[in-house]
Amino acid sequence: MNYIADIFLIAISATLINNFVLYYFVGICPFIGVSKNVSMAVGMGCAVTFVMTIAAFLSWTITKFILIPGAPVSSFIAGIFLPAEQAAHIDLTILSYIVYIFAISSSVQFVEMYVRKFFPALYKSFGVFLPLITTNCAILFACLTIMSHVAGVDNPADAWDLAKSLILAIFGGVGFTIAIVIMAGIREELDFCDIPKAFQGAAITLIVAGILAMAFMGFTGVDSGLGNMIKTSDTTAVNAIPVETNHQQIKV
Amino acid sequence: MYFITIGLAGGTLVTMAVILTYILGWANKAFHVEVDTKVIAINDILPGANCGGCDYVGCGEYAEAIVADNAPIGKCTVGGANCAAFIAEIMGVEAADMVPLRPVIHCNGHYADKLGINEYRGEKTCTAMGRVANVQACVYGCLGFGDCAGVCKYDAINIINNLATIDYQKCIGCGACAKACPRNIITMTPFKTEKIFAVACSNKDKGKEVMSVCKVGCITCKACTRHCSLFSINNNLSTINYDEYNLDFMDDLTKAADKCPKKVIVCQGNLTKKN
Repeated sequence: MNYIADIFLIAISATLINNFVLYYFVGICPFIGVSKNVSMAVGMGCAVTFVMTIAAFLSWTITKFILIPGAPVSSFIAGIFLPAEQAAHIDLTILSYIVYIFAISSSVQFVEMYVRKFFPALYKSFGVFLPLITTNCAILFACLTIMSHVAGVDNPADAWDLAKSLILAIFGGVGFTIAIVIMAGIREELDFCDIPKAFQGAAITLIVAGILAMAFMGFTGVDSGLGNMIKTSDTTAVNAIPVETNHQQIKV
Repeated sequence: MYFITIGLAGGTLVTMAVILTYILGWANKAFHVEVDTKVIAINDILPGANCGGCDYVGCGEYAEAIVADNAPIGKCTVGGANCAAFIAEIMGVEAADMVPLRPVIHCNGHYADKLGINEYRGEKTCTAMGRVANVQACVYGCLGFGDCAGVCKYDAINIINNLATIDYQKCIGCGACAKACPRNIITMTPFKTEKIFAVACSNKDKGKEVMSVCKVGCITCKACTRHCSLFSINNNLSTINYDEYNLDFMDDLTKAADKCPKKVIVCQGNLTKKN
């Protein structure tokens, strides 16, 4: 029950409360660039969600099996040259950025070729968006968040498993889609507004984005409230875990 | 241990690079999509303006449609006759005569000519203003807020004295303005000659009502039909038959334009000889 509650809270948190675009301000370039009309915004949102999920899978796998201290692959290779207790401390997390960028860009390339061959209609609707998001910072941010929850935890039992990572990525993508679609809807209406000349174009867009971000700040604290509700309704074993620490852990 | 870590880090990157390169290289061959050489050739010839005048998303889409779905060859108004001829050569078919289409604004009402104009303080677009009653007495004429000028990517439309005016030196004929106009007074007209005559009025009401809303509206006097056989009256409005329009009618048309009491028939255009 506690595990399901965790997953539920990660999903809510990534979608609304700690929205990638409106809380962390990553992925701003497509958020401003491709939000001119709703249909394109939906396409971009779907593409980001899709790529983010793949990238999350790859980054979790790489982090878990190669990068963290005591990871199976790295400690096995180091074990050939070193005594076992030293080999277990080999830490390759410094490589995370470059390895993730490697993995993201090549997987996007691969997916693009695959989709082009077998799903031409989907390829057409994604259009230019798929290669565009190869180096999107929101994707890298999702990977790094997952890494911090796999490698940066003191207690190995707290480390995220694959399901939690995928949930974060999928719902992070959904949150991105929600933000960009709202933005596109507002910008479509902005065309009919009498905007002072100094504010026209990029200026009013950024102001709107700021107001939207402030509106989303209204969701702050919903996750700890929900956590309290779900976890106190559960029986004795769960109550032993202080809610505060859980909140800390869940905050993306 | 220090050197082992460095070696392991380097090894990880090199191994990843090798594996990913191998996978991508394999995928490139395995998922190779044949692109028709005709599509590439046509794509090279098309102007690459991606204006959407052909009703396809861009030049690439249109090139694919020509090869795959037998789309009509002469749809590119920007490339014109030359472009159509090249494409016909690639496809191995005869090119039909290609006439450049250019927008013509069927309204001649400058600010001083329009009657019954009331103050309007709403959103400054034609779409919004067109829905407000009694702002402008003529419900067919140009509103002058420049929705058409807004969509024109080539800066070819200016609002002069409350009337949209097309700069035919800049216009490439993509047809975006004709789609944008909420009153549908812009039509894409075949320019068979450098300059063509057009009826610059869209008012479909009877003469008396037209007189009360505009000083330069077509009042259906039928003077033009007496001087030139190209003219006919439809819905209380003089229209020109552009299918039979050619240089031989030039004298008749000039005469008809002279005789028009409201000077509704105007000579428009002065195409550049880009193509």
